[in-house]
Amino acid sequence: MAGETREAAAAGGQAAAGEPAAGWRSRVTRPEVLFSAGFLVLALAVWETLSRLEVVHEIILPAPSQILEGTWTVVTLENFHRELGTTLLEVLVGFLLALVLGVGIGIFTGTYELFRKSIYPYIVAFQVIPKVVFAPIFLAWFGFGIESKIVMAAVIAFFPCLINTAVGLRATSEDEVLLMRSYVATRGQIFLKLTLPKALPFIFAGIKTAFTFALIGAIVAEFVGTYHGLGLMIQTFSFALQMPLVFAVIFIISATGIILYSVLDYLDRKIVFWRREEGF
Amino acid sequence: MGPNRREKVRLATITASKVSKTYRSNARLVHALEDVSFSAEENEFVTFVGPSGCGKSTLLKIVGGLLDRSGGDVMVKGQPVLGPRRDIGIMFQTPVLFDWRTALENVLLPVEVLGLDPGTYRERARGILQMTGLEGFEDSYPNQLSGGMQQRVSLGRALVYEPDVLLMDEPFGALDEFTRERLNLEIQRIWMERRKTILFVTHNITEAVFLSDQILVMTPRPGRLARIVRVPFPRPREIRLMKTTEFASLVFEIREVLGVA
Repeated sequence: MAGETREAAAAGGQAAAGEPAAGWRSRVTRPEVLFSAGFLVLALAVWETLSRLEVVHEIILPAPSQILEGTWTVVTLENFHRELGTTLLEVLVGFLLALVLGVGIGIFTGTYELFRKSIYPYIVAFQVIPKVVFAPIFLAWFGFGIESKIVMAAVIAFFPCLINTAVGLRATSEDEVLLMRSYVATRGQIFLKLTLPKALPFIFAGIKTAFTFALIGAIVAEFVGTYHGLGLMIQTFSFALQMPLVFAVIFIISATGIILYSVLDYLDRKIVFWRREEGF
Repeated sequence: MGPNRREKVRLATITASKVSKTYRSNARLVHALEDVSFSAEENEFVTFVGPSGCGKSTLLKIVGGLLDRSGGDVMVKGQPVLGPRRDIGIMFQTPVLFDWRTALENVLLPVEVLGLDPGTYRERARGILQMTGLEGFEDSYPNQLSGGMQQRVSLGRALVYEPDVLLMDEPFGALDEFTRERLNLEIQRIWMERRKTILFVTHNITEAVFLSDQILVMTPRPGRLARIVRVPFPRPREIRLMKTTEFASLVFEIREVLGVA
């Protein structure tokens, strides 16, 4: 008993004391971080050299330095804020719609077995369809404004929310339910104290996927036809063969996506704090 | 059998008569339990022992009202068992802790669900964690605790709301031998302090003889009660009891019934 507790205490104490002491400094010097950063620097250097030596033509692949320059050009354009704002609005509204509807219907689906089984074939069918094929239709239905992009983003982001929620709600074990039932728990109590928290890691995984999907949906819908947006900028620059600017916009979209995704990732870590590290 | 311990007539807390359980599996009828009858006195420690498939866990869940029976009757404290009851607690082979709750919050789960006064029970929960050797780990999350410690939290959660009957389904089956032995001693101590009726399930014969007043030896296919063995040793029992011939011969008697002698 005493030995067991002491061992665990020592382990716990180490972890607790180790965290703050480790800080960013030692995290930055971890081998995988060094290798990862080194790889990026090397790749950029090779890319820059090939471009400068004109092994690869600027139209095919502009040099990193040109893209950086282009980024400054794009960011300082008069209409840039408007284009960025439009795309951001489309992505965020579409994503939130998908989130509310997907998780909501997912809860319903995961709770009612009959409903889940009846809609299952349609869900599978819809899963297989590449949702972007609907972009021209949405353009016809909702016009060149932001509405058609919001709908596209929402439709494509809806399914990961729905499916992950429904799957997560079924993650409880028989013993967990028996335990709650042994306290004469109501259905509502079982849902709030067991089923929902148990599903949260799944729901968050779905939400994160949904966000990246919403970004795809909005940009693709802009390609199909729009008045404003970063997708429009890509098309305009690429018709004019201004490749550094095209890559600059791609870089901006990626950076924006990564920033917003890290917000979700942060929320995930805070809310689903008990999840163990997993995956790739 | 029991020479001097159970002279006094005591109230039977649990009576099961002709309990049976049949279920359908791949269009075949499986008799998980057939006509099992037993009774447990107030504050008695009763153990079901037998190999896998003898229906001991099924029987335990039926007594707790967590599983429907196909036939027979179960009475607990004079009331028929018709579903889950707050005076019956259960503990499983795995700790079944909620990862998002600290040790203390896990112990307080039944208090919240049953709508008991959190103020009163918070102190009691701390006391219980202390008693089970988890002082200083109240705010640890399950994944920061060892298997043995997790099972102690699970025990604390089963004790905190003071159910009169405690059902324990192989509670230490997943732990290593040393931890299991330590926890068995603690279970005995806690049971002697708090006086509860405990129904315990195990396939470990030594553990059964060490802990119990009464052992119900069960055999599989169909799950039947093969023999009732009374264990006369005085308490508190210590590990060295296992060295005695009386202990060994009781263990051997049960082995014979189970056909593993």
